[in-house]
Amino acid sequence: MAIDATRLRADFPVLQSSKAVYFDSACTALKPRAVIDAEASYCLELSACAGRSHHSLAKKTEERFEAARERIARFVGAKAPELVFTKNTTEALNLVIRSADYSSRKKVVSTPLEHHSLLLPIMEQERRGIAKMGMLAVLPDGTVDESSLSLIDKNTALVAIHHTTNTTGMRAPLEKIVKAAHDAGALVLVDGAQGVPHSRVDFGRLGADFLAFSGHKMCGPTGIGCLVGKREAFEKLDTFIVGGETVETVSLQGVKWKNAPKRFEAGIQNYSGAIGLAAVCDYLAKIGMENIERHEHDMAKKLIDAIATLPGAIIYGNPDPSKRCALVSFNLKGIAPHQAALMADSLSRIAMRSGVFCAQPGMEALGAPKEGAVRASLYLYNTDEEVRIFAETMQKIAKMG
Amino acid sequence: MLCFVALAVFLFLSVFSAKYRPLARRALDCVVKKATLRPCDTGLDEEIKAASISGIMKISPGGASFLNRHFEAFSLLFTLLFFASLFFAAQGMYNFVVYGNCNGFEGGFCIYSGLQNAAFLKAPTSLQGISAGNPNANITLIEFGCYTCPYTKAAETGVQGMLSKYGNSVHYVYKAFPLPAHPNSREAALAAFCANDEGKYWEYRAALFGRQEDVMQNGTVALYSIARSLNLTGFDACYASGKHSEQLQESTDECTASGIYGTPTFFVNGKAFAGPGAIFDAEKEVKRLLGE
Repeated sequence: MAIDATRLRADFPVLQSSKAVYFDSACTALKPRAVIDAEASYCLELSACAGRSHHSLAKKTEERFEAARERIARFVGAKAPELVFTKNTTEALNLVIRSADYSSRKKVVSTPLEHHSLLLPIMEQERRGIAKMGMLAVLPDGTVDESSLSLIDKNTALVAIHHTTNTTGMRAPLEKIVKAAHDAGALVLVDGAQGVPHSRVDFGRLGADFLAFSGHKMCGPTGIGCLVGKREAFEKLDTFIVGGETVETVSLQGVKWKNAPKRFEAGIQNYSGAIGLAAVCDYLAKIGMENIERHEHDMAKKLIDAIATLPGAIIYGNPDPSKRCALVSFNLKGIAPHQAALMADSLSRIAMRSGVFCAQPGMEALGAPKEGAVRASLYLYNTDEEVRIFAETMQKIAKMG
Repeated sequence: MLCFVALAVFLFLSVFSAKYRPLARRALDCVVKKATLRPCDTGLDEEIKAASISGIMKISPGGASFLNRHFEAFSLLFTLLFFASLFFAAQGMYNFVVYGNCNGFEGGFCIYSGLQNAAFLKAPTSLQGISAGNPNANITLIEFGCYTCPYTKAAETGVQGMLSKYGNSVHYVYKAFPLPAHPNSREAALAAFCANDEGKYWEYRAALFGRQEDVMQNGTVALYSIARSLNLTGFDACYASGKHSEQLQESTDECTASGIYGTPTFFVNGKAFAGPGAIFDAEKEVKRLLGE
């Protein structure tokens, strides 16, 4: 079923109050009324803590919080005990990379295309002499070179890789990577920050051991993210941030830790964020992730067609729209990326990000200059009319070069 | 390069509005980095460039394209011009304070002291108008003024001071030049002529300047109110009939022919004085002619 983006826009208050053409959803997506109301409902109706106190407000908070966990887990094809709430994808990635067991296997395999949130924890582990980094090769069109999968070997503790990159919107060949990792006895951590919001991701079918994603990139609240993991994979992790509610018992002689997910949820949690994230999962599920994916492929095609006609335009990654979500990074000849983005905002209030998108090695691997590129990232609320405005505006800007 | 200009501009604007202070801080950060040979990463240059080119693009896409291609050269030129202007302005101010003229000892045209003897300002050929002082004096001081002009009002104290000091040595002539930009300027000029008919011009003129705001806002009502306070019995007949319309038109035509662009403008024996502080320059000229 095709999405009626024009009708959907009525669900997003910011699109009613602002006339901006919002093409920056890969940075953060807009919030529908359902999410805003759900977040507010915690503050208005509950405002208590879960899992600690025994009064009725605390019990209700616990019920709503755990119900949210259940709904979010279901959205990604997981079970509630498999879902740990985190601050965002960055924290979820740090949790796994910093807590994994490197006693017998040292190597962490990844790709240069990753977000800094995934690369930096690996680099930190290497700097501390805890782990060793291994990089899969990347082809000029931005795809992972499958011939380099042999890098994943018996010394590999963890393979940490994107589902969909934030620089090209293209997917990694996860099926092959997961198989290669499991054949070698390594764990697989998938960065789903750009994958979960834009496509149907089923944790069970994915086969990975961990999946990290954020609420705010899928129209949910900021400050809430998730780490989904298999029970046996969580058991292989050391503790990360510890504190209240992560333990069964504590004495000065020792600690008995709780099992996941509680073992990794120290302190008071972001209850309103979790409730808001559950609301957006329901919202997206009602629209249908397959429908959103189809809409995005359609938008990607129109976007790429528009950019391809710009004089001197360079599109990073494979220009085949069927291989991407509605995200395109590009440059215009003779115009710096920041300037192009600022001019698009000034001329037609088009909101786009420019720079290296917290993926500097990735942009270098794609052949972008050190200033980076302009990124247009669309979502379910973007329309053909907005792509037309984008095309007209970028035509004018491209002629400046 | 533009961050140097931006710093000066935003620092100045920051004095008047807090919203410019973050911009001034960013410009300062950029200037410090450039001064220490580091790349400026505040993005301010790019924002200025994007805003400038976007603005020009709406008027002239070709011009915007040209500016985009040569932006660095334009930035450098603009920055050099800006700082050269600042230097010369500061030098002029220093000279003005120390020597009384922006050019120092050399003298000549100085923008701070107004226009003197500008070629486009031609002395009037007639002495028609409201007269005071000594008609046989060797020095003639002509003023082109507007009763509802705040600058003419500001100069009035100086005019009266000169008349009281040099009344015997100077022949003063006032020529009405009602400027359309000043509300009720024409009405005030006609009313002053009517007061002159009854020999009460100077009282009426003092009241016009004293109640300038009232005259500008309430026009005829205020003019009649002043006339009543001075017991001008023939005022209504004179003013209502527009008795002096022709005389006012002649005065206005004369002003236009002289190239007057603003009020007040003074002529001392044919030498023009206009702009800021013109009355003081005119007084200096009178003193010079009197050998004081």
